[in-house]
Amino acid sequence: MTNFIDYLLGGFSNGAVIALMALALVLVWRSTRMVNFAQVGQAMFTTYIALTVQQSTGNWVLALVVALLAGSILGVVVFFLVIRPVKNSDTTGAIIATFGVLIALQAGAGMIWGGDPEGFVPPVDNAGLEIGGRIWPVSLYDLLVLAVTAVLVIGLTLLFTKTSLGLSMRASAFNPEVARLSGVRVNRMLITGWAIAGATGAIGGVLIAPFSTISPNSFDILLVFAFTAAVIGGLDSLIGAVTFGIGTGLVISLVSGYSDSGNAPIVALVLLALNLLLKPDGVFGHHGSRSV
Amino acid sequence: MSKVEGVSKVESVSKVKGLQTFPGNRIIWHALIVGVVWLLLLLLNNNIDPLYSSYLALIAMYATAMFGMTILVGLSGQVSLGNGALMAVGGYVFALTSMNWETVPIFGWQWNAIWSMVFAGLGGVLVGGVVGGLAARLKGPYLAGLTLGLAVGVPAITNRFPELLGGENGLMLTVPYPDGGYAAAGAAASLDPGAEGELESTTDPGGDQNGELGTDDQFAELDLSEFDQETDPDAGLATEDLLTEEDFGSGDQLADGDLLTEEDFGSGDQLADGDLLTEEDFGSGDQLGLDGTDIGTDIGTDAGTDIGADLNVDSDSLLDGFDSGFIIERWQASMAIAVACIVAFAALNLVRGRQGRVWKAVRDDPIAAAVVGISPSGSKVSAFVVSSLFAALAGAVFAQILSFIGPGAFGLGLSLSLLVGIVLGGRASLLGAILGAILLVWLPELVDGLAGERGWPEQITNNAPNLLYGLLVVAVVLAAPGGVTGTIRSWVDKARGKARSPLS
Repeated sequence: MTNFIDYLLGGFSNGAVIALMALALVLVWRSTRMVNFAQVGQAMFTTYIALTVQQSTGNWVLALVVALLAGSILGVVVFFLVIRPVKNSDTTGAIIATFGVLIALQAGAGMIWGGDPEGFVPPVDNAGLEIGGRIWPVSLYDLLVLAVTAVLVIGLTLLFTKTSLGLSMRASAFNPEVARLSGVRVNRMLITGWAIAGATGAIGGVLIAPFSTISPNSFDILLVFAFTAAVIGGLDSLIGAVTFGIGTGLVISLVSGYSDSGNAPIVALVLLALNLLLKPDGVFGHHGSRSV
Repeated sequence: MSKVEGVSKVESVSKVKGLQTFPGNRIIWHALIVGVVWLLLLLLNNNIDPLYSSYLALIAMYATAMFGMTILVGLSGQVSLGNGALMAVGGYVFALTSMNWETVPIFGWQWNAIWSMVFAGLGGVLVGGVVGGLAARLKGPYLAGLTLGLAVGVPAITNRFPELLGGENGLMLTVPYPDGGYAAAGAAASLDPGAEGELESTTDPGGDQNGELGTDDQFAELDLSEFDQETDPDAGLATEDLLTEEDFGSGDQLADGDLLTEEDFGSGDQLADGDLLTEEDFGSGDQLGLDGTDIGTDIGTDAGTDIGADLNVDSDSLLDGFDSGFIIERWQASMAIAVACIVAFAALNLVRGRQGRVWKAVRDDPIAAAVVGISPSGSKVSAFVVSSLFAALAGAVFAQILSFIGPGAFGLGLSLSLLVGIVLGGRASLLGAILGAILLVWLPELVDGLAGERGWPEQITNNAPNLLYGLLVVAVVLAAPGGVTGTIRSWVDKARGKARSPLS
């Protein structure tokens, strides 16, 4: 039982990062009705930028802010150069194009920073905390990750529910034509959506990097987990992405604890397949949100 | 090659009316086209440097897999990243059946690579059927995401069964090469100045095999001399000695009785060339380590029966083969070309026949297709199964080319390569698949050559092909969705005053 609790607690911070990546996918889906398979590629790239900043200045907060800015800029660049021109043609082409961006970003990162895995030093201690004479599987850094994620999620929720910008974004996601007629600058909302998604993914990347190492391909598996979480959550639901992002993190932690971390992708695959078969609209999704 | 295709295309266009009324005619035409191409490729294979033969083998292997991508992505409109994983299925089934052929119940008495290929194909169809059944319920990004999970999950699955599938290290194949060698039957013997000469010439043109092959040559020669000494006195005793020697380098040549020496060592280079994205996964150390154990068991099982006689014969034919220039690259290329041509014939008939129209109809408008009596999900599943079959066969070929199968070679990188190739060549065209295959093999070589001339650092050189692929894919999707073939076709159509979708 203690094992179970330990594994469960250990999964939260990982789940938080998966939730952030899933959020990024959902934000893109809401604005342009497509899955951005380059999302983790963008996050990987900005994490490398953050790593460079941290290595040269030693300032983690600065690195996070730089990653955030770089992520939103990269999101907008990808939107303008790739997504907007392709959007009106076939959906197959749009999917393929995002994979093209992913390949190019990974190769570009390999060119600039090399292919060897690099460590990302966490700003606070990443060793388990000792409370009440017992070492818990939660570190100070895990708490920081959870706090940053919580702030981000609350901020996004407020943005979407309490501000006119959020209202416009929801309107243009819900029905672009009507929104345009009502005076919403739909195109601007799409750009904003991509920028926020890029920034969210970038923060996720910086947060997850200290848990292992960073290399051009190291986030591939994160894409699978985030996609799983986003799809189970319904792809257009922010709450769904967060809930099932954390849920996926917990399941992975349990699977890794009881068997082997190598089994995690298989479990994610099974979860995804089951969900797509049994509840294809996702748990929090609106019916019909899947028809492209 | 492209010239031949061009000619055949003109012929087929001029026959369009006849083709439509007599399907039998169409099949004969397709057989003729493929047969001529096959013959020309074999001629080419026999007359080029073995280094280029190894490229030819890779191109044929990629083309085999990408004919399936043409059908799946181009005609049926399903973006799948699972075909690399399905290649792994084919490769592993091939490896397991050819390694354990004695325990596979049927036809064990005359086992050869063809049976393993058949089993690999069946494995691909089975797995493809399951995944395709799931896939038929999914649209665009969902299918891509699910198959992405499959591609990323391959290493995890192989690690799940380390005893059966070899885990991270993968499995070494004992490829059942034909007795007597390839060159004995062909004209290659007279063309080749000599085995050593050939080996050296393989190292020369590339210029990028920084000395590794040089030492390998020495290994090969050493091995040969040992054979010489030990086979002479008494074949029966010599076999025991040979087999128990651990420091012998690549022992499985004995089990096969064939000249795997160059191939075993040379395969490092082929890996670097062929597997664009995962070069680092193949340490030759692993392979040798595995060899040792494999040989041990092989000997144990074979010892009493016919191995003495086999080796007696084989060690002779071994030397004969070497003298007459058995060249593993040529054999691999001819094998890969054979598979590619058979698959191409099947694909041609499918794509240009009724089934091809069914796939396109469902891709363009599933509802309209359903109205005229086509089952959209059935059509999607059939496309998936066919492409899985092709992918599995390509995987079996790949495993034979590498003499090795491991998760590293069949990861996400391979699936992405296939997608890149098909998009660049032309999504909905079989010729596009061939062009894409050529591009996948040729571009890294081009970059390597450039890098060698300009002295680029390794970091740049290793990643330049992928950067180019990524950018090209985006550019092609934006500017020329039909890829090379689609664009040329639309130019031709424009010149002839016809309008057509680049993807039709």
